[in-house]
Parts: sequence; C-alpha cells; structure tokens
Amino acid sequence: MNIKGWWWKILGVLIYLYVIIGGLTVPLKPGVLKVDPASANTGTKLELNITGYNTHFSDATENKAWLKTDSGHSIKARDIHIVDDMHAQLIFELPEVLPPGEKVQPLTLIMDNEKDGAFVQPNAIFVKAKENTTSGTEGWDEADFGHIHTADGIAFPYRNILHETIRNTFFHVALWFAMFIMLIVGLVYAVRYLRTHDYSYDIKSSAYNKTGILFGILGLATGSIWARFTWNTFWTGDVKLNMTAVTLLIYLAYLVLRGASSDTDKKAKISSAYTIFAFVAMIPLLFIIPRMTDSLHPGNGGNPALGGEDLDNTLRMFFYPAILGLSLIGVWISTLVIRYEMLKERLFQNQK
Amino acid sequence: MNISKVKDIFIKELSVEFRQRFAVGGIFLFAATVVFLIYKSFNDINPREWTILLWIIMLFAGLNAVVKSFLQERRETYLYYYTLFDPIDLIVAKLMYNFVFLTSLFVIIIAIMSVFAGFPVKSLGLFVTGSLVGILGIAIVFTFVSVISATEGGNSTLMSILALPLVLPIVLLLLKISAVSVRLMTDTSIGQDIWMLVSIDSILLGAMILLFPSLWRS
Repeated sequence: MNIKGWWWKILGVLIYLYVIIGGLTVPLKPGVLKVDPASANTGTKLELNITGYNTHFSDATENKAWLKTDSGHSIKARDIHIVDDMHAQLIFELPEVLPPGEKVQPLTLIMDNEKDGAFVQPNAIFVKAKENTTSGTEGWDEADFGHIHTADGIAFPYRNILHETIRNTFFHVALWFAMFIMLIVGLVYAVRYLRTHDYSYDIKSSAYNKTGILFGILGLATGSIWARFTWNTFWTGDVKLNMTAVTLLIYLAYLVLRGASSDTDKKAKISSAYTIFAFVAMIPLLFIIPRMTDSLHPGNGGNPALGGEDLDNTLRMFFYPAILGLSLIGVWISTLVIRYEMLKERLFQNQK
Repeated sequence: MNISKVKDIFIKELSVEFRQRFAVGGIFLFAATVVFLIYKSFNDINPREWTILLWIIMLFAGLNAVVKSFLQERRETYLYYYTLFDPIDLIVAKLMYNFVFLTSLFVIIIAIMSVFAGFPVKSLGLFVTGSLVGILGIAIVFTFVSVISATEGGNSTLMSILALPLVLPIVLLLLKISAVSVRLMTDTSIGQDIWMLVSIDSILLGAMILLFPSLWRS
C-alpha cells in the first residue's frame, strides 16, 4: 500500500464530505414566505401581514420596511407590529396616486434589520390606482433607504419556490457535470483503443462509461425528487428530461451491446465505435435541442442559467468542490472496475 | 471516394433486391397489413394518429428492410469486397441504397395510408423536405447499426436494441414536423427543426464515415 497513490481518493472523499455537511447545514438567508393581502387600492391604509422564513423580527431592534415601485419610488412603513420571529404586521399609508406607469403596479417589499440584514420580496403586492386619477409622485419618496444592514456569516440565497431545495444544486447539477467528465474520459479511451488496439484501453473506456451511466441515473433521480418539490411532479414533459432519458437509453444500449458479444477483440472494437457514435448523438440531445425549445430548466427557453443572482458566492463555495469531489470519486469507482476487469481477464488467460 | 464504384455497388444492391422480390414484397405486405389492422380497429383515423402511425410503421418496416442489406451477405463475400473496394465507397453506396429504399418504402406506406385513412397533410413542401431529411438520418443510423450487428455475426435483435434509441431524437423531430404540416399545431420556427435534423444528419454521417473503416477490417 503506498500512500502516494491514495491522496486523490482521500481528497475526493473529504471534498465530498465537506459538500454534504456544509451543503446541508449552512442556513438559508432570511426571506418572505407569505404576504397577505396580495392587492390593495391607493389612498388606503394598508395592513400587510408578513410571514418570514429564517427571520428574527423579535430579536432585532431596528426593523424597517419599504414598498418600492419599478419606477424607483418608495414609501416607508409607518408602523411595524412584531408578532414573533416569523410574523409581523406592517402598516403603510398608500398615497392617493401612483407614480407614472400602469394603472396596476407591482410593489417590491424590502425589509431590513440588524440581525437578518436586508431582504427583498419582488412583486409582493399589487396596488391599483383609483378611477379617474392622474398619476403623480405626491406622497412617494425617491427610493433611498439610507443605511442598510448586512447579515454576518454565510447563508445560501433565499429563492421563492426553491426554498431549502436550493441545496440540491450541489448534488443534482454536480452529478451532470461529473457524468459528462466520465463520458468524455470514456470517449477519449475509445478513440485511443481504435488507434492502438490495446485491449486495456477498451476496459478503461467501458469502466468510465459505466460510471458515467451511474451518475446519469443518479442525476435523473435527484432531479426527479427536486421536481417533486418545485414543479409538483416527479416527471414533466420538459424537453431536457426527455432528451436525457433518450441519452440514457442510448448508453444503456451500449451495456447491452457489451453483454451480447463474447469475442473480446470484436467486442472491444464494436463498443469503442459505438461509444463515439453515442457521444456524438448525445451532443444535440443535451446541448442543442433543449436550448431551442421552452424548458423549465434554467438556461433554456430564456430562463437564467448558472450565474447572476442564482449562483452566488456562497453556493459556489460548495458547487465547484462538489463537481471536483464527485469526479474524483467517479475516477476511483472506475479504477476499481478497471482493476476487477483486468483481474478477470488475467484469470481467463491463465485458464487457457 | 470513387463515384463510379459507388454507382456500381448501388446498382448491384438494387439488382440483388429485385432478384429476391419476395423479401421486398414481405416488407410492403407488412406495411399494408398494419395499416389495415389499425384502420379496422380505429375506424376513423384522425390527423394526430395518422402522423404517429406513419412514423411507427416506417420505423419498424424500415428496420426490417435495412437489417437485410448487411446481413444477407456471407463472410466470404465481405472478404471479396474488401479486396475490391475502398470502405468509404462501400458505406456511401450502402447508405444511398438504404436511403432510396426507405424513401420508396415511405412513398408506398403513404399511398396505402391514403387509401384507408386519407391524406391530411396541408403544407406539402414542409412535409416532404422534413421527411426526406429525417429519412436520411434514419438511413444513416440504421446503416451504421447494421454494420455493427453484421460484425457481431448477424444478430438482428442487437440491431433493434441499438437502432431504436439512436433513432429516437430524429423520430421526435419528425413527429413535430409532421404535426405542424397537418396543422395540428402552428410553429413559426419550424425551419429551425429542419436545420436541426440536417445538423444531426451531418454529425452522424461524419461519425459513421470516420468509424466505418476501422470496423470494416474485422
């Protein structure tokens, strides 16, 4: 046993342990779960009941709240009644007129205290202008919130609908990246086999492909669970899901192909050729078609992709290590398969 | 690539096919029977069922047809070919032959279906271009897979296991194009789908031409 050859396995496991522990224990940033009522008229006194998430209303002393229009005007809450940490009632005096724009305008709720920092709920409430009123800015302030607190410590972003499932980014998304890395390695070995006809390359190619298929199945499973909580169903008609299913079928056919053949030399040649063909067929399935049609996934059909506000630095702290850790573990699994296959091959040779 | 040799192989394939007329007849009989069976059980076939039926029959009849093209020949014949032709000539000729064969099969299936179930296509140009590009893709996949199963000693089960998943994306696009051309749905960006088919075709064709020579040597 030489420790030198081991370090990357330990590294992979440690990184992934860090991802699992950190990814599951870091709290979410505070956010607003529910705002009631959902609409109001101008010129009225508005009592807004807020249900917060991970908030500390009663611990904080400097609770503040604003409503802001898209045109950059805002009003400050006149009064804030704290019920408990998670519940508060905000009292607003809505002005008689709305700033220039639509007759019905969505207002963004911004809350701030020294414990939670500032957090925002877009389109928290819709305000309707009274009949026969002109628009104006009387009663509205220019949006300037003065000093806003920032919370200490790290926390994952709070997103509507996603809530706590945002942590699945480290598992679901990282699995796809790791799968792709495994399949690329499998492809490279397949090409090397066809060039050199060295049988060990074929064993390597098939081992990496198998690990890739395993990661693909796990990726589909984690995605399915995620979909249950965000889209309310395990399987949707989403293009990306169906194209992934097709890709997995193509690769499962690869396993059948390997099982069907008994002549090692022929098997190696055919399955290497099929690997290249399958990989080539996968590219339009996973990268071109989903980008051209509407999809519920980020990065397709005009939805934002990784980046911007959705993948912030706290998520990156776990997301990139997750890819690295999973890939190292994948390489480890593949080397185990390779060693097993090599031993089997040697046993077979000795018998003859 | 040598054009005259490609032509020679192509003509040879065609004449072999016509000499074994029962095989061709069998495939057409298969198509006719399935259409008739479904017509009798549905009584009235609406455009949605029409498009799905068309491509399902096409897929299975085509699979049966292409399996033969590589499997009907014996190992010795291959050895003989190997001394005569460049592998690229051979694969291009086989592909052209399969494409022509699948296209004529398509025309015949359409003819049989028109008799029993009518012809609901409204945008003929779209339907024809989309179908031809799609059939080329199906021909490429089937040809490649039949090469694989021929080197595996003529295993036709293997052929269908490998071919169906690979051909699935093409068929999905074809179903969409057909649905648009019978006006089941409208899509202004359907041209994109045809370009997608063209690009899938060219990627698969490139992969096949690159890989065939190394498979061929066995």
